This record gives sequence, C-alpha cells and structure tokens, in this order.
Amino acid sequence: MKQVLESCLTATINGETVRIQAIAPTTTLLEYLRQSGRVGTKEGCGDGDCGACTVALMAQGADGKLHYQAVNSCLIPIGAIAGRHILTVEGIANGCLHPVQAAMVQTGGSQCGYCTPGFIMSLFAAYYDGTVNDACVEGNLCRCTGYLAIRRAASLVASSPVQDVFRDRLAQTATELGEVSYDGAQSQFYRPTQLSEVLALLQQHPNATLVAGATDLGLDFSHHRKSYPVLVSLEAVVELNFMHQTTEAVEIGAAVPLSHIEDRLRGVFPSLDEMLYWFAARQVRNRATLGGNIGTASPIGDLPPVLLALDAELKLASAVGERTLPLANFFKGYRQTDLQPGEVIVSCKIARTIAPGAVRRLSQSYKIGKRGTDDISIVAAAFCIDLDEQNQIVHARLAYGGVAATPVRAIVVEQWLLGKPWTAETIQQAKSHLKTAFTPLTDLRGSAEYRKLLIANLFEKFFVEYP
Amino acid sequence: MNSSDMKSVVGKPLNRVDGHAKVTGAARYSAEFPVAKLVHGVTIQSTIASGKIAQIDTRAAERVPGVLLVMTHLNAPKVSGEAGGDRKLPLLQDNQVRYSGQHIGVVVADTFEHAMQAAALVNIRYDEEQPALHLKEHLDQAYVPQGKIPRDQPPDSAHGSVEQGLATAAVKVEQTYTTPIENHNPMEPHATTAVWQGDRLLLYDATQGVFGAKKKVAAVLGMPPENVRIMSYFVGGGFGCKGSTWAHVVLTAMAARQVNRPVKLVLGRMQMFGPVGFRPETMQQVSLGATREGNLTALRHAGTSITSTFDEFIEPVAKTARMIYACPHIETSHRLVRLNVGTPTYMRAPGEASGSFALESAMDELAYALKIDPIELRLRNYAEFDPDKKLPWSSKSLRECYQQGAARFGWQKRNPTPRSMRDGNTLIGWGMATATYPTNRSPASAIAQIKADGTAVVRSGSQDIGTGTYTVMTQIAADALGLPAEQIQFELGDTNLPETPVSGGSQTAASVGSAVHLAGTEARSKLLQLALMDQASPLYGATAEDVIAQNGRFLLKNKAANAETYGAILSRHGLKTIEARADAKPGEEKDKYSMHSFGAQFVEVRVNPDSGEVRVSRWVGAFGVGRLLNAKTANSQLIGGIVYGIGMALMEHTVMDPNRGRVVNADLAEYHVPVNADVPSIDVIFVDEQDPHVNPIGVKGIGEIGITGSAAAIANAVYHATGQRVRDLPLTLDKLL
Repeated sequence: MKQVLESCLTATINGETVRIQAIAPTTTLLEYLRQSGRVGTKEGCGDGDCGACTVALMAQGADGKLHYQAVNSCLIPIGAIAGRHILTVEGIANGCLHPVQAAMVQTGGSQCGYCTPGFIMSLFAAYYDGTVNDACVEGNLCRCTGYLAIRRAASLVASSPVQDVFRDRLAQTATELGEVSYDGAQSQFYRPTQLSEVLALLQQHPNATLVAGATDLGLDFSHHRKSYPVLVSLEAVVELNFMHQTTEAVEIGAAVPLSHIEDRLRGVFPSLDEMLYWFAARQVRNRATLGGNIGTASPIGDLPPVLLALDAELKLASAVGERTLPLANFFKGYRQTDLQPGEVIVSCKIARTIAPGAVRRLSQSYKIGKRGTDDISIVAAAFCIDLDEQNQIVHARLAYGGVAATPVRAIVVEQWLLGKPWTAETIQQAKSHLKTAFTPLTDLRGSAEYRKLLIANLFEKFFVEYP
Repeated sequence: MNSSDMKSVVGKPLNRVDGHAKVTGAARYSAEFPVAKLVHGVTIQSTIASGKIAQIDTRAAERVPGVLLVMTHLNAPKVSGEAGGDRKLPLLQDNQVRYSGQHIGVVVADTFEHAMQAAALVNIRYDEEQPALHLKEHLDQAYVPQGKIPRDQPPDSAHGSVEQGLATAAVKVEQTYTTPIENHNPMEPHATTAVWQGDRLLLYDATQGVFGAKKKVAAVLGMPPENVRIMSYFVGGGFGCKGSTWAHVVLTAMAARQVNRPVKLVLGRMQMFGPVGFRPETMQQVSLGATREGNLTALRHAGTSITSTFDEFIEPVAKTARMIYACPHIETSHRLVRLNVGTPTYMRAPGEASGSFALESAMDELAYALKIDPIELRLRNYAEFDPDKKLPWSSKSLRECYQQGAARFGWQKRNPTPRSMRDGNTLIGWGMATATYPTNRSPASAIAQIKADGTAVVRSGSQDIGTGTYTVMTQIAADALGLPAEQIQFELGDTNLPETPVSGGSQTAASVGSAVHLAGTEARSKLLQLALMDQASPLYGATAEDVIAQNGRFLLKNKAANAETYGAILSRHGLKTIEARADAKPGEEKDKYSMHSFGAQFVEVRVNPDSGEVRVSRWVGAFGVGRLLNAKTANSQLIGGIVYGIGMALMEHTVMDPNRGRVVNADLAEYHVPVNADVPSIDVIFVDEQDPHVNPIGVKGIGEIGITGSAAAIANAVYHATGQRVRDLPLTLDKLL
C-alpha cells in the first residue's frame, strides 16, 4: 500500500480520460459530473431514491466478465471511480441515437425529460446484459408518463442487441481494481487490495470510516453533507470479494455486491432469492454489499431476517486475529453491533444442511411495503422450518425486521414449535404467541397494531404456501 | 380557412420534436445554463412552525471561505411580498416564522459546498409559539373564504333546498371523506438562476408560467415589468407547484443584486415539501338522497381544506358537484382552516381530483344502498345540461364513455356482492367512477413567420412542462402554414415572445393552440395575397378559396400545375420573411355553453387478505376530450394522470411531525409515488367527439382529467373486493386489516 498520497485521480468518462484533483473524495460522482458541465445526468433527489442520476459503470459481473452496471451516481464517492470507466447519457449516441434512445423517442417514453437520462442508462445497461425488462427500470421514478410508454420502449429493444462499439468494449478482459491512495481537499481516500492493508489502515487511522458500495453511507455525502477525514474502501479487497459454494455451505465475502449474489446463488436459498427481488432497486443492488447490509445494523435492513432464519455465521477480522460469531449475536441494539474498533466483517457463511432427523426444509421470506418494488419494509419476515418423517417440527427459525430495535428472532415461539406437527392448528396457536412476541413501534410506515398483525399473518401465509 | 383545413399533421402520433434533445441529455433545464461568474445560493429554513426569530447569529457562517452573503431579515433589502397578486411571499421582511421550512435566510458562496457549510453554521434562537397543525383540532375556526374558487365562482352555491330533498329521499348516504396533504414532486427540483444586467433582471426559472413569474417578480421588486425577462426552455414537470412564483425565486434575485454576481439556487428535494405549495388536506361531507328508483333528490358537498396563516388557497373540492349530476336540490360550500403550514396550491386537477374521491365514493355507497349498478345509477342522473349554469354542454360524450369503457372492461361480468370475486386466496374488486374536468381557455398570442428558405418560425411565450407543447404547437403550425412539421421551428419559454397563460388548468392546447393556429393562418394568408395580386405569379387573379397550401407551395385546386413555393413568392417580392401575429382570446362561447371533458374510469384491484396489500391490476379509462392533437402524447397524458391517481389513492401522504410541523417523509424514499411495478396495463379509449364550440381548434385539454375519479374508482374497487369502505386517503394496507 502506497503511503504517499496522490493528489490526483484518473478515470474515464465517455471514453475520455479525466483527471480529478483538489476535490474531496466524498464529492459524489453526480456532483462532479454536473459541476464539470456534464449536466445531461440529472439530480432528482440526491438520495438514491429516484434514479434520475443513473449512469453506467463498467465493472466485473458475477461471471468475471465486464458489464455495464446501472448505478446511482448521487451515491458514489468520486474516489470510488478511480481507474474506472463511466458512461453517461451524453456518451452513448455514437453518430446516431443509441437504440434505447431511439426507442424512447419513438414511444414517447420521454415527457418532461428530467427522468429520461436515468431511464436511458438503466435500459442501456440492461440492453448489453440481455435483461431489458420491467425490473431493469424499477429504480427509476417517472412522474409524467405513468411508465407505460417507457415499457413500450423497453420492449422495442428487448430482443437481440446489436454488435457495436459498446459491446466490443465489454470484450476486453476485466482487470482487477487497483489500489488508490488519494488526498483531496483535506480528506483521504484509500482503496487497498489486501485485508492486511485494511487492518493496518484502521490501526493507523482510528477515525477511518469503512465504505463499500456507499449506498447507505452515500446519503451522508450527498444529503447530510458530512465530511469524512479518512475513508477506506473495501471494494478492491481480494479477501472480501469471493463466494465459496460447497454442498455443505455457502460463504460470501463481505464486499460482494448483492447483484452478484443474485446471479450466482439463484436457486440455492429460496428466501434469499425472494428478498433480493424486493431489495431496493437494480442500481442499489449493483453497489450494495452483504457486509454493508449487515454492518449498518438497520432494524429494517432486508437481508438480516433472511440470514438470521438461515443461522448465518459471520467471520470477523482485526489486527489481533479472526473470530466467528453467529449473526444472531451480532446485533446489540439500535444500529449497534458487536464489531470492535479496528475490526471488519470478512464473510458470512450459510449452512446448506438441514437439521439432524429432518427430511425436508421449508424456507421463505416476505417483505411488506406500500409499493410494488423499491420500498422500505413495514415488516420483513423470514422463516425456516425443518420437518421429520412424521411432519413434526425439528428445527424452527422465525426472523423479523421492522418489529424491534434490531433484526430479531422470535426465539420463544421457535422453541414452542419444536416437536409440534406442521398443521393449521399449530399455526393458529403459534399466531397467538406471535402477536405478543414483539412490541413494534408506530411510525409513518405502519402502526404497531398493523405490524403485530403482520408478524402473525405472515407466518400463516408461509404455512398456506408451504403446507 | 377554418379548423377543418387542419387535417394533415394535427392528430398524427408525431414523435416529440424535443425527443432527441431529451434522450441525449442536450436539453437544458433551468439550473443548467453556463453563466459567467456564477455563484451559488442555498436557503436556511425555519425548524419551528410558529414564533419569532429571537436571535440569528451569522458570524461563523460569514467566516467560511468563499461566502459572499448571509442574507436574513436583519439585512435583506425591503420588498413587498404581497405585491403583484398570486401568492403572498415571506421574503425575509420580518422575524415572524409562519410555518416549518419557511425560508428565513439565504447564503451565497463561491461554491455550493461552501454555501451549504455556511448555512449549517447560522445559529438561530427562536421564541416558539404553539403552532396550529391539525385540521381536525381547528374545525371550529373554519371560515368562509374571501376569495373565489376557479372561474370566478363564489365559494358557496345553492339550487333548491337539500334539506327538503333529503326529507323526501327514500335512501340517504351521508358520509365524511378525508384526503391528506400531497406533494407534487415533479422530477426536476425548483431552480432559479438570477442574472442582473444593470437594472435589468434575467431569470432562468423552472416555471409553468414565465409571464406570471415576470409580473410577480417585477411587482415585488418594484421594477417595471419590461426590465424583467424570464426564460424556461425545458421544465422537468410541474403538476401545479411551478405554477406560482415562490419565495426562493425572488430571494435569488435579491441575493444576486446584493452580491453583484449571478446566483443559482436549486431547492433540494427536502425543500420541496412546504415552501412551494402542496395539495391541502381536506375534510368533505357528502349528503346524497335518492328515490328507490335511484333518482337523486338531494346532493350536498361541503368541503373544508387547510390554508396558511398568511395567505388563502381554496381547494375547490365541491366544484364538480355543481354540474355533474341532474338533481333538483344541490348545495355546495367551501370553508378554510388556517394552520401553520406553507400556502397550499394547485395540484393536478385541484378540487376535481380530491373532490371526486368523496363524491364518487358516495355515489358508489348509494348504488350499494339502492342495489343498483353504479353505472346505471349515474345514467339515471345524467345531466343533459349544466344544472348550475343552466347552459347546454358544448359537447358531452359521457354516456358513450360509460358504454365503451364498460364494454372494454367487461363490466357486465361483475358480481356486485363484496368479497364475491376471488383468484385463489386473493380478493378481486371492480370499481368505477366518473371523471370530469372543465375546458379552460385564456388569452394567448403567437407570431408566425414564413422564411424565404421555405421554413417557418413560430413563437409563443408558453412553456413545455412535459405535456408536449413544443410538439403539438409544431403540428398546429404545420397545418396552419401548409408546411411539413420538419420545416417548423417552434420557440417558447421566454417572456420576450408573445404573451401566453400559465401551463395549468389543461388550457395550453386550447389557448396557445388557438393563437398559433390563427397566427399561422394569417401569415399564410398574407403570403397568398401577395401571390394573388402579382401578375408574375401563376396564381394571379385567383381567389383565396381557389387555392390550397401543401408542403410549402400554393396550388390551384382545379389546376395543380399552377403552383409556386412560398420561397419563390417571398424572393420575387424581395422579402426575407413574412409574418403575422395573432392575439387569441375566448369569445362568447363561455356564456352560451358549459364546457367540460368527461370520462369513465374502470379499475380492477387485487387485495391480499393476509397483509392488506392492494395492487391495481387492470384499468380502462374512456374519455371524451374533443379533438386529439397528437394521439401519442394524448394517450400518455391520460395514462400519466391515471397513475397520479393511483398514487393519490394508495400511497401519497405528506406526514407532519405533530408538534413542530416538520415533514417527516420529505424525500422520495418515504413520500411514495408509484413505481413501474405499481402500474398495471392501462387501456385508454378516446370516444370520438367533435366540439365546434369550445375554441377554434376543438380541443378540450387532457392534462388533468385522467386523475379525476381515479382515487374513487380504486376505493370503490377495494370495497367490492373486501367489503370495507375506506373514506380516508391514502388507502394503505393497515386500513384494510
């Protein structure tokens, strides 16, 4: 790791090399683009909620190859684009309109036009992935068209994309992210590639803040305008970017983006697949990491209930060594964790084996929100039930988000269920226990009473779906 | 020349003429103009809802590098926020805090970051007073508004006696319905860049009305209006909140004059919840009486809505009740309650959207009480003329809308019993409601200029807020001038161009369209006259009636060989251009006819009985909106309105902290607008309708009718699915369990 800090970052924007200097590394990519006159990319909220700022980041996908990833530029600290290639709406018309641009004109998918660049870039990224569908624009809000004209544009470009300069560019070999040590406007940004370097930096800078995809911390840059004297990015750390799959277990590195988990683990854990569908939007999943979603310890984080129900185990590392910890013991209070100063989350391990004596496992997750996608949960729940040959419950996990100060299991009910038959009668009794298991809050997303109903009803829904 | 000549380009599903600029990022919005020596402004907002600023310490802020100005009530120039009509603006003239989020200071610095940093360092001490924040707690202070509701109507109306009508009714429905505060949330935040050139002021502003902004800014700053120029070439949506000139616009101009540099000020998304208007909370009482056969004997719609402590805005919820159904006894009223909130404003179909939720829900309740199909109930009370104005309709196709919409939807297969239709465990509900919106028109002017190269430029102040003004005006101009659309350049968004009204009230097509049509026709006519009187022209001696215009050429109807191009005529006369100006205004039609669009909304919902989740799964809307200028933009406008209605029905709700009035969901994560996944297939039917009376081009306006009736149709469908009548929007999951 270079100890001499550089005063300049280089990146590529629309094929042009740019040198970034005297800018705080927490300046967002969106701010940089607009302040440098590239105003085609729009700011609708600055919070990663609307997608108007979507750009395409060339990055390695789960398959190891280069992809265009739709990302919210309002949540990306400029330090993170060092050595990378960004495409914006201004850079994709190559002599004539790009097919997705032409389609949006053709169908009237652009009305006021302010959300248009974001939709275009989401469609652009999906176009080269062959995944142009409704889900690829789930993270883009439009207030004019009612979306139907945009869907028609998507359907025009959904089939067989052409070979063009943008596709040619993807054929290059993906190179690993290089290390970065940058100092701009009195703030330092490090992107080490080795875990040992991360741990050393944390020793050196006890005030350092860890950042991976910045989809949560990015709000502090963009919205709250907090300054961070030292940021340590985990994005390039080899030891945090892996996935091991055996018949026994799956281990996922803390810095693996959720979209990689979606692609590589599809079909392995149904409850994880389901929750990843509901998890924010494509732009966020392309950047957000498993470690980040656990580490922020939000009581309404989407993945912790799923991981709690699957008895996930964390590996943590610090300068003094490694330790493992059941996820259930990690959350200590509202946004409080067992993570010690100088310690980082390395990975999360999920067993694939079912309980001794069990013959089948039932497992699913649910997220209740007001909107069809792209919403914060009112209540999220994940269940895992192992049954023996007599249909008796031999293992039960009922985990919830949005019902307490931390993601939490209904341990009393889990224990009560052991040895009971998996029947409607058992469920009815469990429901009455569940109604008193937690004392959720009333907030603008839902009332305490409604949450209590959901805690019980979702378990019944699980039984109805998996009798 | 008459409108029947307009047949070639108008009506075609032309692609947006500004589409290329928008999909490539080339379209410049108000915050995006490169201005030399530009500096950046941010506002400081109050954190209490009522009281006085006891002390404001700006010293630390002023020490931040790059800071040029910290403007507060202590050092702001004296201006009059009440001058010039429109909204009364708090402009740092006193220490009074009227609502949470009121702009109480402006910081200007060399960079946005420095301005933000300095703003955070301004230290304010308040003398806080108990704010009034809840409509229900202050109903005893409801008062009769001083102002009028739109179209200069008094707040109350009465025909017959509702008490008498209710006394004779066999069946009655008397219910209270409520709607919450909603925020427009156009995708583009409000943005203003102010540039002073001596005593002249130039503003790039995200506005729905450049001329309104000009008048307001000039009046407040005490300037001659001709010294103020507003430009707004592309506006990223408005829906009403950019229809008025709000405090930040004037504050930007004031700050720019103080620092003697151009200043840009962009509101953050959070700052758009309060200081730029909202749809006010309403409480509406609807009383319906009917005979056993379903004939209305009484209709009362009494609405109370909130306004600010310092200005008045009436949400005209009961306006529709005056004209929508035939009934001998109709009474309506509007009351206001003053709260410590910003001043509310027009939001997509103000009054019609919120009022139709109450009235059309009540009609559904009446249909159930009478055991009559809801369409049949509406047909039995079909208004053959306007019962308020006692005038005939200029045109009305509502019957056809009910018929065609119901047929497309498959309404006859509906089992009316609640909870009777299911798909597995999921409850299915079908609901419908009537939609209507008045046809508005205001004076508007335009200039059309034909050039010797065979192209034309047409100019008219106006704005394109996403509705397609650039495109449909190009189409109207093309037909009026006899030119292909590609040869027309249409310019708007500048007060140096001919005056036009605000882009609101669904009036742009009728108002500006009429002016463009007349100007184009006149320019063409002047050009033709040159040819007809010119011996060198192959058209010499013919009459205007003998000539047709096509693709930039005049030719004789009976002898097409006798033709010449516009360019040839101009060249021969040594002219570079020929132009005409039209000042179009509404005529006597509004005294002779009642003019409205009508429609019928049909919706299917699916309700999860375990969680109460409601998903809209199918929609058919049938509308009679006069002539269509562009089938593609029109279709999308209606769909956009309907989806706005889905948001209103199921999710949109601005929530205030009950003690200090701060909006707790002032972002797009917690203020929910519909996402793609919330939108079902929506089938829009345009009922063929020709209206020879409304205006020279026969259009009725389409921006707002789509949302009207939408929330009620959904609530009615949810009742059908669940048997639960929700009278309190939004219709969230917890209200169904």
